[in-house]
Amino acid sequence: MDHLSEKEKQTMRDLQDSLTADPFPLKTYTHIGKRGPRRLDGLPKASGKADYTMDVQLPGMLHMRFIDSPYPHAKIISMDTREAEQLPGVRYMLRFDNPELPERASMGKVSGLYGDPPPLSGIAHFEGEPMGAAVAAESEEIAEKALELIRIEWEPRPFNLDIIKAMEKDAPLSYPEMYPDSNYWNNGLFDVLTQGDVKKGFAKSEKVIEFEFVRRGHTWIGPERPCGVFQWKGDCPEVWVKQQRPHLVKKNLSTWYGGVPMNKIQLHCLYQGASFGGWVQVPWNMGPLYCAGFVAKKTGRPVKYVFTRREDFYGGSMDGGTYRFKVGFNKDGTILAVEGTSICENQIWPVFNPMNHLKESTRIPHLSGKCVSIWVNKGPTVPTRCEQLPTTLSLTAIFSRVAAECGLDPIEVALRNDGEEGHDMAHLNKKKKKLGFAVIDSLKECVDKGKAAMDWDKKWHPPGTQKLPNGRMHGLGFTWTNEWDDSLGSSEMAIRIERNDGTASILAMGCDNGVDAENTYCRIAADELGFRLEDVHYNPQVDTGFFRMSPDSSTNMSINGWAVRHAARILKKQILEAAVGPTAKTQRGSFRPAFPDCKPEDLDIIESVIIKKSDPADRIKVADFVREAGQSGPLTSTESGGFRWAFTEPLFAYSYHVQVGSYNPVNPRPHMTRQAHFLEIEVDTETGEIHIIKVVNVNDVGKAINPMSCEGQQYGGSIMGLSRGKFEEMIYDPATGVLLNGNLLDYKIATTLDVDAPIDTILVESGMGYGPYGSVGIGEDVGTVMTGLIGPAVHNAIGVWINDHPITPDKILKALGK
Amino acid sequence: MKDFIHFNAYSIDEAVALLSRYGGNAEIIAGGTDLLGKMKDRILPSYPEALINIKTIPGLDQIEEKEGMISIGALVTLSCVAEHPVIQKTCTALAQAASRTASPHLRNMGTLAGNICQDIRCWYYRAPQNRFSCLRKGGGRCYAIKGDNRYHSIFGGSVKGGCFAVHPSDTAPALIALNARIITSKQSISADTFFNVGVTHTTVLANDEIITAIQIPAPAPDTRSTFQKFALRKSIDFPIVNCAVAVTEKNGSIAHARLCLNAVSVVPRRAVKTEEVLTGNKIDETVAEEAAMAAVADAKPMEGNAYMIPVTRAIVKRTILACRENHGG
Amino acid sequence: MTENTKNDFRCPYCRRLFDSLSAMKNHMLENHRDGDLPKPEGQIRLTINRKKYIQDVKPGWTLYYLIHDQLGFTGSKQFCDRGACGSCTVIMDGKAVLSCMILAIECDGKTIETIEGIAEAEHPLIPSYVKHHAMQCGYCTPGFVTTSKALLDRNPEPTEPEIRTALSGNLCRCGTYPQHVTAVQETAITLKSQTRQRG
Repeated sequence: MDHLSEKEKQTMRDLQDSLTADPFPLKTYTHIGKRGPRRLDGLPKASGKADYTMDVQLPGMLHMRFIDSPYPHAKIISMDTREAEQLPGVRYMLRFDNPELPERASMGKVSGLYGDPPPLSGIAHFEGEPMGAAVAAESEEIAEKALELIRIEWEPRPFNLDIIKAMEKDAPLSYPEMYPDSNYWNNGLFDVLTQGDVKKGFAKSEKVIEFEFVRRGHTWIGPERPCGVFQWKGDCPEVWVKQQRPHLVKKNLSTWYGGVPMNKIQLHCLYQGASFGGWVQVPWNMGPLYCAGFVAKKTGRPVKYVFTRREDFYGGSMDGGTYRFKVGFNKDGTILAVEGTSICENQIWPVFNPMNHLKESTRIPHLSGKCVSIWVNKGPTVPTRCEQLPTTLSLTAIFSRVAAECGLDPIEVALRNDGEEGHDMAHLNKKKKKLGFAVIDSLKECVDKGKAAMDWDKKWHPPGTQKLPNGRMHGLGFTWTNEWDDSLGSSEMAIRIERNDGTASILAMGCDNGVDAENTYCRIAADELGFRLEDVHYNPQVDTGFFRMSPDSSTNMSINGWAVRHAARILKKQILEAAVGPTAKTQRGSFRPAFPDCKPEDLDIIESVIIKKSDPADRIKVADFVREAGQSGPLTSTESGGFRWAFTEPLFAYSYHVQVGSYNPVNPRPHMTRQAHFLEIEVDTETGEIHIIKVVNVNDVGKAINPMSCEGQQYGGSIMGLSRGKFEEMIYDPATGVLLNGNLLDYKIATTLDVDAPIDTILVESGMGYGPYGSVGIGEDVGTVMTGLIGPAVHNAIGVWINDHPITPDKILKALGK
Repeated sequence: MKDFIHFNAYSIDEAVALLSRYGGNAEIIAGGTDLLGKMKDRILPSYPEALINIKTIPGLDQIEEKEGMISIGALVTLSCVAEHPVIQKTCTALAQAASRTASPHLRNMGTLAGNICQDIRCWYYRAPQNRFSCLRKGGGRCYAIKGDNRYHSIFGGSVKGGCFAVHPSDTAPALIALNARIITSKQSISADTFFNVGVTHTTVLANDEIITAIQIPAPAPDTRSTFQKFALRKSIDFPIVNCAVAVTEKNGSIAHARLCLNAVSVVPRRAVKTEEVLTGNKIDETVAEEAAMAAVADAKPMEGNAYMIPVTRAIVKRTILACRENHGG
Repeated sequence: MTENTKNDFRCPYCRRLFDSLSAMKNHMLENHRDGDLPKPEGQIRLTINRKKYIQDVKPGWTLYYLIHDQLGFTGSKQFCDRGACGSCTVIMDGKAVLSCMILAIECDGKTIETIEGIAEAEHPLIPSYVKHHAMQCGYCTPGFVTTSKALLDRNPEPTEPEIRTALSGNLCRCGTYPQHVTAVQETAITLKSQTRQRG
């Protein structure tokens, strides 16, 4: 019965945390799960017709550029802008000491962590920070020239680059305005995780090891650089943003310039040249937008700002830091206790303890984890593809070390320790059953499929033992963890039936980040409504007043998918009710129903046609049912010849979904789905080169609504992860704090030739995910987990642990004593 | 980019006249891939007032074989060099070097002549907005010595107190191994002596001198040459070490060998001791190993670049061995 | 206007230099009496997507700036702006080149094809890219398609290593490389069957 009962509707609305299996599953999937249906964004993107914010040009538009601090920590003592202001073509010089600029503004999700800084600062906390002055000119060239004419007297301050040194008592302060006492910033704030008693655990363990590794900071590199365009239409701002979270821009913007009512803000969120979480939350991207709006108001002209490629470089991922572990285990690979500390630089969201995944998805009884975030004078670090980088790096390192110490296959160690919050699989299985899911051993399924694809059993060997005929050492790496995509968030989505042709439009603003999500929502809507896929469209670039997860908080599909499902079910009910009842009322009475003698449950919609179930020949296309709109619409055209056609009131439904999620510290539902990744490499021991030979990614995605999109995340995640593992790091000059490799020649991301190995993408569908139809997101997982997998593979090849990531050739040669 | 005056030169004489008129404040632009990057980043204290485009000079884009010479015009792109069948056959090392330079797009744009005239890639020198006033810009010191020198010279410095920036060309060692000559508007110079590092220059070219062609003598019979490159990435990357070797065999042993390394020292480095080891021997693992050891015998690494020594050794050895295996020419 | 040294006189037709005005006049009368009006300084004539353009450009303009900002061919994207990523690729005289590292003023007489021209001609690369999800955020995609088009023009049956090498100057941060290989290979087959049908 597709028709919605009151009870079901209520349940849907109450379905807040997706804790249990869906009590009202969809019976048949027509578009969901199919390979191949068109990407909505495909044609525009492949043909160069997809417009991005960086492409926007408006008549009379000014270009704005910023001073980049030449020092990692410095204050402007005095600034002479007179000469720059006189340069022909300069239209506005915004100085940090402009009295009309506020001392504080709300800028980005974690603006508060920086004390809501000023939109344009007179103090720099990292080299390259856009600050001091913003010049708006007729062209970028003129703006750039003007910047060179500004004379600044700086007060350079002592600075920190190294987190360990910054922890010392007499270390200079990196951010004294916000943190005047020390460079520690999350002392006592979500920094400690404990479970059981690690001392007892170590005492019981047959073996205890300790180790430490360093992960060098790396960055996201959005292909399209941070940018925005701002113009005022009277007192209404019209804004184009490169922003992953348009709703956040609107919210922040409404507090600027003395307050702008939300309903006066017109927002455009065009295609987004990716950001992977970068620049989402920090003030350094929102401040320039504030300045653009300020200058646009002053000059009466549209103002565009675009970061330079180098300015984009200064942000980074949250896992840059030093990691220390003590692990107690038995010789059979059973891990009893882990104590771990991660000390990370500028971790903006330091709630992701290195022990998180061990707690969430292992049976290890005794855990103690501490995550320390230290301010240094480098750019902000935000969740880049995912803030779970530190915790997945940790899990990979711990499990591979234990396997190596025990002389065991790491897969065996994974299966032995799989579980939940210190309990074994039997315990987790009971929970699965209780929540209404089929009891499936997700890790076992992932591992079996992956082993077969990799031919693992044949290839596995003890570390440092397999020299190949080509002289290289052969290495295998394996890691695993749970899938996450179960964070908190809310989504509001609506569907409207277009009057003239009966097609459906999904309404909700969100950024397109390339995962073909819009098509996925269309598939859900189509299957729920009984529409043809081509009759459902979704343009998320328009501000319709509804905002969905976008992507935020590591979760999109598992929240948005529900919202669109709920809305589609409500809308379908509306359509069927309209089809049987007198609908729109006019001065001349009600219109005749399309199916006068039926109840809604007698009808169904198949391929965009309303049919009578008992007599499918009795049918009307949704397009014919909804009729025309406007003045030549129902009243005139439907009464020709004295015959009155059916006419409905507007068909529109909205719904929403709110999820508390299972992020630390809230954990209302266990993580049930798993992922497993396999890597085969060859190490050239003469040059230290790592050659990638084969990759196998297995993800239990619960239900693959859009399989090719899932595979895209596996391919992309593997390439990004291996690129991070092999090459990526931000290199600073130790003496001056200047970023040395802030360009795409010196900061190396993998090319087509660097990860040219076959990548096997395997999807497991256990139905145990948080999202609709049992799905769970995949976008963050592979890139995040694969980043640490080079380490164990290199160890398996050469028999030596390299404790400094990325693993570049110099480190391999050093480890080999060369 | 800063403003500049742009000239299209229609003859070599005109280009030279313009250069001398600007007395060092003009630059030649052919492929432009190095020059425009420098100008966009504003890395230098002063900028050329004029750019003189030589792509408008007819006849410089030809590869000609004449009188026992292969002559490559100054406008011949790297991709033309890489794909040229005669160069592939007789000057294999050069074709290989050209095919490993930069990226396919840049090879379609950049010229061979430009590749050997390119500026250093030191990240202190290249830091935007002229952030470091280093020795090569007439400043006081080399920032790499106490800084991050993972890609700097293992064979000592140049210029006064020592600039440790390496020469980044992939094709230069191949040209030296193949005993090429650089033909300029003024003279003909052996590739061996073409490179000369100083403040604001990397070659012996005078301010008003331009390359018109690069000539390679047709190698003696039984000469083979190869090139190998080590870089972090397989494309869009400058070498960490590269090596070219040309050997001529007589009666089964090496009668003559020329081997050149680059990216490990301030100018392309002829490995004379290595050549001596090779001469009179047959190429085998032992000889190649010994020759490779000789290539790095004088290396004096800095704090961050000791790894370049084993890498260099491996690359030299492999280049020599590949020369044995490479029967194509 | 360039600032020629006082003593030099340049023929506006053929750019030859003369020592005196009268020498230049004589030269022009002798050689260019019947020619069209000379091209003003800074003007270029070029063909973009099979259409002819006459453009006045400044010396500092890159080809990217000309086509993207001035002419609205926004399919070419600026990713690195330093010749290291391939997103601004156009095909110039048959070769894939980077429009961000070419001066527009040096493009006189060139024939240029952009992604817009490739799409207009309904090249089968485009549906193939869509079909195989050879894109994510899409920002670098036009550069890849353009590079692939230049490859297929030159080499109608590329192997996987040839495709990877041809595309090795294009960076994709989303990591879509495997799908490009599939899309290009399938396009090669489509093109071959199209040629056969025509033939």
